[in-house]
Amino acid sequence: MKKTLLSALALGIAVSFSSQVAAVDPEQSRMDLIEYFKAKTPDRPIEDYINGIYGYDEDRRMQWEAGEEFPPYLDALDEGKAIYDKDLATYQKCFGEDVTKVRASFPRFNEETKKVEVLEQMINQCRKAAGLKEYRNTGQEMAKMSGYLAYEARGERINVELKSEEAKQAFAAGERFYIEPRGQLGLACASCHVYNASRKARSDILSPVIGHNSHFPAWRLNSSRLVTLQGRYTGCQKNMRAAPSPVFGDDYNNVELFTAYMSNGLEINGPSIRQ
Amino acid sequence: MVNFKVKQALAALTVSVALFAAPVYASDDAAKAAAAAAALAKNIEEGKKLAFSRSEGNCLACHMIQEGTSPGNIGPALIAMKLRYPDRQKLFDKIWGVKETQVPYSMMPLFGRNAILSDDQINKLVDYMYTL
Ligand code: HEC
Ligand code: HEC
Repeated sequence: MKKTLLSALALGIAVSFSSQVAAVDPEQSRMDLIEYFKAKTPDRPIEDYINGIYGYDEDRRMQWEAGEEFPPYLDALDEGKAIYDKDLATYQKCFGEDVTKVRASFPRFNEETKKVEVLEQMINQCRKAAGLKEYRNTGQEMAKMSGYLAYEARGERINVELKSEEAKQAFAAGERFYIEPRGQLGLACASCHVYNASRKARSDILSPVIGHNSHFPAWRLNSSRLVTLQGRYTGCQKNMRAAPSPVFGDDYNNVELFTAYMSNGLEINGPSIRQ
Repeated sequence: MVNFKVKQALAALTVSVALFAAPVYASDDAAKAAAAAAALAKNIEEGKKLAFSRSEGNCLACHMIQEGTSPGNIGPALIAMKLRYPDRQKLFDKIWGVKETQVPYSMMPLFGRNAILSDDQINKLVDYMYTL
């Protein structure tokens, strides 16, 4: 049986997971999801999904665009560049000479180790291999460097390739994590970011999953700092009253791979400004 | 608009019931009735707190509720509850999360079943819902 995100949603999670061993078709999943969102808000072009909630609310869009004229994250990017340049030779060995190409090469499936690799995790692995001290996984140094690399990559496009069966299985595991209810409230990531995208939870508009990877890290206006993508996952899981999974563990890495693949072809526009 | 009229009618009904019911009984019963009314008022107040507080019911996250600021719109507005749920047990069951009341793929948490709220708390919520 061919299993896609939507067929899984439609069949009911219990049914589709017990019978789900057969072929995974990520491209079909992606096309289905795009169709789903097009049906939900026909006037919103998919290219605009990189702007998250702003595509659902004209007032907030205007406030945000005004904010981008003097972006609050610029100092953080300067610091990120300084931190990166301090160990530049090390990073160049790991990620190549061209700093505009680093962001778009993650997340990726490493066909040798058979593991998903995400940017911030590889920064720490690179440091460790060079005998340097690792940064806190979702800490400020990391977020600032990630912000700098996203900024340098603006205009590049998300392009995740799933070449092997194992890569597709990692994608499928991420998809599963995304649609399985968990935590005391019995919610799934998809409850908010697929089914109820565009609706409001209190005064928060719910963003669509497509585009989630394009604009991270995000400058959070409520805490005046940059937050990495997996840092954001942790926050959402706490709101779901679920125990957060480990940062850079299989769960989050698979989800990051899954949502990045779902955002294939979209422009990188990080860092962003969010509530 | 319709809902508003319905609520007015409900309100009028409660007032008239109170008018007819209260004065006829002896003072002993009146005291008991007053105590019951005070207990109910307290439950209603606590129910409202549960519905509005982010760390407990947080119903406002998803439902419009009168007097609640910045409500979500994931679920339907909680309005004219007594009219729509004349059977109190049905409303309790819906909030508790009894299987038969569940809607597929709904975000509505199973408050009792998943031990988010106690039965006592859900009863207070129902008391409060009946004022909406
Ligand atoms: C109860 C609702 C809810 C659930 C469930 C939920 N989120 Fe969120 N999420 C939000 C809200 C509200 C925001 C902030 C508004 C927005 O941008 O969507 C948010 C934001 C995000 C963002 C940032 C979006 C942006 O454009 O800045 C990401 C990424 C994210 N969530 C991922 C997840 C993942 C992964 C899960 C599951 C582990 C999850 N969320 C579960 C409510 C939820
Ligand atoms: C995370 C979202 C969410 C939260 C929080 C939530 N609900 Fe709901 N609720 C829904 C949705 C969606 C529906 C519609 C589908 C259904 O009936 O399950 C619903 C339906 C209902 C209904 C039946 C629909 C009607 O109007 O007849 C009642 C009653 C209700 N909710 C009460 C509550 C109460 C009381 C609370 C807080 C203790 C609460 N809800 C919290 C999402 C939520």
